[in-house]
Amino acid sequence: MRPPPGRQQLSREFIARHQRARIIAALAEETVSRGYRAVTVADIVSRAGIARNTFYENFSSKEDCFLAAQDYAVEEALRRVVEAASAVESWPARVDAGLAAFLGYVAEEPALARTCIVEALSAGPDSLARYEQSLQAFGPLFRIGRKVSPHGEELPATLEETVIGGIFWVIYQRIIQGDTERIEELRPDLVEFALTPYIGADAAKRALAE
Amino acid sequence: MPADQPNSVDAEHEYPPELSRLPPGRHGLPREFVVHNQRERLIAGLAEAIAENGYASTTIAHITRHAAVSRRTFYEHFNSKDECFVAAYDTVMAELSERIENAFQQESDWPQAVRAGLAAMLEFLAAEPNLARLCMVESLVAGPVVVERYDAAIQGLVPYLEAGREGRSEEVLSRLSPTTEEALVGGMVSLISRRIIAGQAAELGELLPDLVEFALTPYIGSDEASKVARA
Repeated sequence: MRPPPGRQQLSREFIARHQRARIIAALAEETVSRGYRAVTVADIVSRAGIARNTFYENFSSKEDCFLAAQDYAVEEALRRVVEAASAVESWPARVDAGLAAFLGYVAEEPALARTCIVEALSAGPDSLARYEQSLQAFGPLFRIGRKVSPHGEELPATLEETVIGGIFWVIYQRIIQGDTERIEELRPDLVEFALTPYIGADAAKRALAE
Repeated sequence: MPADQPNSVDAEHEYPPELSRLPPGRHGLPREFVVHNQRERLIAGLAEAIAENGYASTTIAHITRHAAVSRRTFYEHFNSKDECFVAAYDTVMAELSERIENAFQQESDWPQAVRAGLAAMLEFLAAEPNLARLCMVESLVAGPVVVERYDAAIQGLVPYLEAGREGRSEEVLSRLSPTTEEALVGGMVSLISRRIIAGQAAELGELLPDLVEFALTPYIGSDEASKVARA
């Protein structure tokens, strides 16, 4: 039998996790106020209120921290989307719930959203590639739609990629226009956009009305 | 003849006809033509240097070496790498837009016009992987000026799809939302960029049926869209 974890061990793990989140939040805030290129590790450290050493215990560089922020945000977004989608039955309802959760997250964390959806594109080739990669984490939620689609596997093989890319492009545009506060209003449009190729526009409209 | 006439031309590379190099040696061409050609050569040189090194690591020495012109010639045309990039971006995007526009206008039937426009876009990008990378990927990391132009260029594709609303029934129109075209364009561009990032620019032509079906479905339904796509 394993001994129960010591108090110190637990709290150290808790502090470490908390510290990472705090540094990531500081990076996002600094990125929004200065633009990613201008941000220095010193800015992040000072905003997070931590020692420079603490930063380097967690990340090797600003770039490393940025990629970690992207991973962190995608993981958290995915967690929220899956949780919301699992709470309802039908596929259209799942897409609706998932998108609502996603847009809610963007509205709740505007700095992190701007960092990961807008700045990630221009921060450099690595983060751009990471961004394009991570979008596809949402693929399975949409791919289920093929099972309820009359066209199933006859649908274009790239459909999920284009649907997700389209949703992110619209959100991207709203963020650069400084319209994050009303981002949740996009929900019906985006749900319809996502459902239509799978089940047709009429069924999508009906599903939305329910 | 200008003093900075290149003394070596690397024949290993292939260039798009509109960005081709001057033949070596005395050519007696008017100065204006030479200047114009040097500019295009620098742009092609930039595209190659970026494909090799990425934008951030590209230096003016890389550019002039690929373009086979002197450093002085570079500075006669551009003040900086960024300025050269903006010129390159504008040139490539203008060419791409013109090809899309011409192809689109040649078809009177809207679904066919969308198909033709998309085919022209994919064909250009597939034939010129370096330029594809320059305008669809590196433009995003080249600073805010270019990002703004890139966004505007992508949004500039929206009217081609909006034209599909014309003459549709009330029923169809009521199902479209104000963001339909934006989302369709963004989805297509995202897929194209992903393929370019993955080093698959040369195979972009294969995406044509998928993109046509995706773009047309909201307007003419998936059965009809699939027919146009696979014709």
